[in-house]
Amino acid sequence: MSSRKQPKGKIRPPKKPNSADAQFNDNWDRLAQAIREIHKKNASILSFEELYRNAYNMVLHKNGDKLYNGVREVITQHLEEVAVSQVVPAFPLSGASSSQTNPNGAGGANFLKVLKTVWEDHTTCMLMIRDILMYMDRVYAKTANVPLVYDLGLDLFRDTIVRSQNYPIQNHLLEVLLQQIKLERENEIIDRTNVKASIDMLLELTDASTKDTVYATDFENKFLETSSEYYRVEGQMLVGEYDAPEYMKKVDKRLNEEEQRVRHYLSQTTEPKIRNIVEEELISKHLKTVIEMENSGLIPMLRNEKMDDLGRMYKLFGRVVKGHDEMKSAISDYIRELGKAINETVTSNTTAEGGNAASGDKQTGATVAVRWVQEVLDLKDKFDKVQNLALSNDKAFQTSFNEAFEYFINKNSKSPEFISLFIDDNLKKGLKGKTEEEVDSVLDKTITLFRFIGEKDVFERYYKQHLAKRLLLGRSVSDDAERGMIGKLKVECGYQFTTKLEGMFNDMRISSDTMTDFKEYLDKSVLEKPKLDLSVTVLTSTFWPMNLSASPRCNLPPELTKACGTFQNFYLGRHSGRRLTWQSNMGTADIRGSFKARKHELNVSTYQMVILLMFNDKQDGESLSYEQIKGESDIPEADLKRNLQSLACAKYKILVKEPKGKEINPGDQFNFNNDFTAPLQRIKIQTVASKVESEGERKETREKVEEARKHQTEAAIVRIMKDRKTMEHNLLIAEVVKQLQSRFMPNPALIKKRIEALIEREYLERATGDRRVYNYLA
Amino acid sequence: MSINLHDVLLRDFSSMLKDSNDHDAIIKVGEDSNMKEFFAHSSILKARSNYFRRALSIEWTTKKDNMIEFKKPNIDPAVFEIILNYIYKGEVELTNQSGELIFELLIATDELLLEELFYKLQGYLI
Repeated sequence: MSSRKQPKGKIRPPKKPNSADAQFNDNWDRLAQAIREIHKKNASILSFEELYRNAYNMVLHKNGDKLYNGVREVITQHLEEVAVSQVVPAFPLSGASSSQTNPNGAGGANFLKVLKTVWEDHTTCMLMIRDILMYMDRVYAKTANVPLVYDLGLDLFRDTIVRSQNYPIQNHLLEVLLQQIKLERENEIIDRTNVKASIDMLLELTDASTKDTVYATDFENKFLETSSEYYRVEGQMLVGEYDAPEYMKKVDKRLNEEEQRVRHYLSQTTEPKIRNIVEEELISKHLKTVIEMENSGLIPMLRNEKMDDLGRMYKLFGRVVKGHDEMKSAISDYIRELGKAINETVTSNTTAEGGNAASGDKQTGATVAVRWVQEVLDLKDKFDKVQNLALSNDKAFQTSFNEAFEYFINKNSKSPEFISLFIDDNLKKGLKGKTEEEVDSVLDKTITLFRFIGEKDVFERYYKQHLAKRLLLGRSVSDDAERGMIGKLKVECGYQFTTKLEGMFNDMRISSDTMTDFKEYLDKSVLEKPKLDLSVTVLTSTFWPMNLSASPRCNLPPELTKACGTFQNFYLGRHSGRRLTWQSNMGTADIRGSFKARKHELNVSTYQMVILLMFNDKQDGESLSYEQIKGESDIPEADLKRNLQSLACAKYKILVKEPKGKEINPGDQFNFNNDFTAPLQRIKIQTVASKVESEGERKETREKVEEARKHQTEAAIVRIMKDRKTMEHNLLIAEVVKQLQSRFMPNPALIKKRIEALIEREYLERATGDRRVYNYLA
Repeated sequence: MSINLHDVLLRDFSSMLKDSNDHDAIIKVGEDSNMKEFFAHSSILKARSNYFRRALSIEWTTKKDNMIEFKKPNIDPAVFEIILNYIYKGEVELTNQSGELIFELLIATDELLLEELFYKLQGYLI
């Protein structure tokens, strides 16, 4: 330059800016051209070093803003061209109704494919542009506080293509996406890659005002809205067309599909939202309808033990708020209904049986009880199975089932007696042929029913009665099983509940020892030996359920009276201060009877022995009247009738009654049946077996229970007041209920009466000034 | 416990620059008579510099005989040698260098966006 002569003229253009301008223009032209080449995919002819240096120089010479704006312009221009030349021509035909003209969505798929290419081209180009403009990004963009060039590219793509002001690209895109999803929901195969590409594109673009993705602002809401509508319609269609199991399978499938869809080509953030929609439209809205579907809903599933369907329902319905509650209450209602039916068959049976009880089928009563318990156990088994196989052992369901069982079991006022009878039956004969494990499992199941009983004290009373009979009549099959059962009851109710039961066992054991000693005593003694073998069981009166305070009337034969006397001397000699009463109503005797055909050994009750011995003095054919027997034996009338019935009207007719009949009436005549035959040598004359109580007995038991409750309530009140000294009425009631509810549910009126009784007896007093407060009087 | 064995690492990297026979890049620095070829490892250049990471990427280079050729005409070879030393060893020896050269080095580190070195030099010069 210096070699050149300056031209003439005073005015010269400023040299430096000019050359810098020229330099800039030159640099920029080359860069703009290069970007165009990149867009044309001709980058291989370009030199990174040169282009980078160009941009570097421009920024260095403070032309960063010009460069930045220039780049923006070039890219915008290019994208405009792309929109016109590639995107718009790919619009699916006929816009909104595209799904009609392209039933398989081919037009839409093609549109997505074009968009995918356009997007991929754009991002690839932007990466290269970013490379050569790295210096601008680092030095200019940072200080000028403008987006980096790659992000600028994204924004331009968003505004020029996706949300173009000039062409309805956005409408088409959203419509096509929703249409593709709809097609897929209707089991068409779609090209998920294209859909995914567009979705990913929307996820990468950011909305300028919300700073959220364009996916979230433009697409997601529309997707959720259309899905909601879609499943609303589908839900109505499905409940109309399918039965419950099929419906649930469809719903299951839909949930799965939507989850897969999200995983494959939508954003994970959409997953809970679309799941909620399907759950709301297909489950929540049709809960009741599906549960109550005739022939296929929840109850039919239970009836037919469709465990898979139940399990599916449990899982599906668990997804929504009310789902499990609705199921629970439906199942509970069903249990109550079934329970009611069981109760009804039993009550109708017992009343029918009550009518012909006199016909003498002694087993029927117990059979009804056993059947009731067995049916309840079967029902329990059934729902345990449901619980186990279909409901994942859900505790909440268990609680609600238990409440239902408790409800109907306590609806049957005889349930404590029935359960005790069931145990009695099992411990007496049912256990034969069963293994110990089976026995244990039966007893365990029975305990679960026992837990449901509200009036445990009533059960205890019956259990004691039944146990007493088993022990005294030697009817118990297994001592281990008996003790096992008591062990279980102890676990359930504590030792108080079982001390008396254990006392009964103790009496039996001590008695057996006593008898051994008695035999030794007799062997060593110089006294005359009794003419019969006497076996005595000494019962502690407080442990046993019967009233043992006095000996019932009965004229025993002299040999027996004498033997009893001998024992009494022996026993009282060892235990001074005790009082023995002889319970002839509970004893048994082995006697030998000589009949025409052969001799038989007869196992009979003490009363029956007394009756039969009367015939020893009579000639053949000589009869005794009912009145004679009654007078001579002095046996109480009810017992006498029952025992005569056993001898004359039951299976083995040792006596012949005139007139014939099932009932014993005054004036009847009895003859010794010399013609009696039986295949067995040893015959057991059935004593009256345990059976369901008659109404009279029940009333008596009830009264005893009520009496016991009075005592227990008073005891609880005194215990509490002794501890607290002073207490307000309602608090005291609550505390008493708390202490007693494991045995029975005391009603407040009863407690109030007991409090008053205690005040009268001066255990308590009302506080002066506040009549609602009680004081304990030491 | 952590063991620091930087010394040997440094020695090994220096020897890589000095006597390596497995380089895959030839950097032709300077113009005309003042042009010098440097042999280097593209992986190391890329690891140490964003500029080279972009410049030597497959989008922008073609390999001849498995060798990347890259021209950098506007930098003095003496300056680039210092830069290469910095890249391989993280060491820059300025003691016997002229102020002019150091200034040129500063400009080059700015262009190549070697920010760490650029700021050090700026501090050194002021």
